[in-house]
Amino acid sequence: MVFIERRSVLSGMLVQEAMRKRVIRVSRETTLSDCTNRMVKNKVAAVLVTGEDDRPVGVVSKTDLIGAFYADLPIEAAAADIMAAPPLFCFLDDSLESAIDLMHARGVHRLYVSGAETDRVIGTLAYPDIVGLLYRYCRACGKSVSKVRRGTEDETNSSRLRVGDVMTTSVRACKTDETLAEVIEELTSHRCGAVLIRNPADHAAGVISKTDLVIAYKHGEKTGTPAKVIMRHPVLSCDANDFLSVALQQMLLKDVQRLFVYKDAPARIVGVLSLSDSARFRSGSCRACTSGRLIVGV
Amino acid sequence: MLARDIMDTRFHTLKPHETVAQAVKMFQTASREEGKKIFGLIVVDEADRLVGMLSMYDILLFIQPKHMKIWGEMEDLEPDRLFEDLLGKVKGIQVGDIMTTEVVTIGPETHILSISDLMIDKHIRRLPVSENGRIIGMVYMSDVFYHMLTQFLD
Repeated sequence: MVFIERRSVLSGMLVQEAMRKRVIRVSRETTLSDCTNRMVKNKVAAVLVTGEDDRPVGVVSKTDLIGAFYADLPIEAAAADIMAAPPLFCFLDDSLESAIDLMHARGVHRLYVSGAETDRVIGTLAYPDIVGLLYRYCRACGKSVSKVRRGTEDETNSSRLRVGDVMTTSVRACKTDETLAEVIEELTSHRCGAVLIRNPADHAAGVISKTDLVIAYKHGEKTGTPAKVIMRHPVLSCDANDFLSVALQQMLLKDVQRLFVYKDAPARIVGVLSLSDSARFRSGSCRACTSGRLIVGV
Repeated sequence: MLARDIMDTRFHTLKPHETVAQAVKMFQTASREEGKKIFGLIVVDEADRLVGMLSMYDILLFIQPKHMKIWGEMEDLEPDRLFEDLLGKVKGIQVGDIMTTEVVTIGPETHILSISDLMIDKHIRRLPVSENGRIIGMVYMSDVFYHMLTQFLD
């Protein structure tokens, strides 16, 4: 019997190859203000809440903090009041593919990693770490653009994936004078990490990400504040025709989770490329990877 | 020899809502006015209560790209351009967002040997001296070091 097995570059790779060993921990009593401080400083989207004997009891993510902001909870409230429990786990020697499947199915952006002792956390696995691994793999690959730059330029370029091939085409946006409460509603109902803020002329004026909202909450902003007060600008963006590898590099180096994608002119935003989309795509940045994903077996 | 005897009573402070740029200026001012290199400043609220400590390490940790390993592998980058973008992240960030909130303090009657023990044990180079909820001085590792060891130099 002939069957076709779908494979990706990640096939055969284990959680331990992509995970981070540094886990940011707080206690049940830690204030939301201090949880935010840990996230901003360490550039993580969630902190692990631990209880007696350092055992994991829950997670506070930026999404949870934004929920607290929306509900007008005081910033001095305790982590235990809003944490999601229990934390989701994967094992050190699980395959990366199964870990991504679990993250996708449960709608979370990270898993905690445990080893032989199942109640001990030894690392975290998040989408950007997987993309980072893919990216390094891609650069080291024999077909890598950086290695065959001279010579067959045309052939190489046509096989390289472009941002337009991978991006999400639905762009969530709010107006500059809409309130932060409306921005939060837009973010949570579409489960995205950032919304584009458009000015009255419908041009991209700025971005508000979950991080921006969490910082606004900590700084004492109210949910009735207009979007334009806290939005970040300029909008970090790339051309739909840019090579995927270049866009990934920019995101990894600038510590951003996404780039907005424009076509023809920077004000014409047509899509978003996020690190989590790139991780779920499970490929490097050229077609050598995607074609290698189909393996015919007997 | 107690904390009270070796502490420095001239010290500078930051407020949680100050910007990182203001903090960097204060590092320079404090170093000049105190006559020593200052690597960390205490953060106090409006009522002068200690709420944290901001060190150069905290600021560097924040600026550092999370995927630094990937930087090391790229030879074809324009580091200066990317560096500017990284510094842009600091805009809108306040002292309270990145300061260390768990600060170890000592009382004025703490013995110098206990202080040095604490510094070794917890890898701390400076300790605020607290009395009745207010900070009255700072003890630096260099003060402890020279007070303990100068007599051996003669």
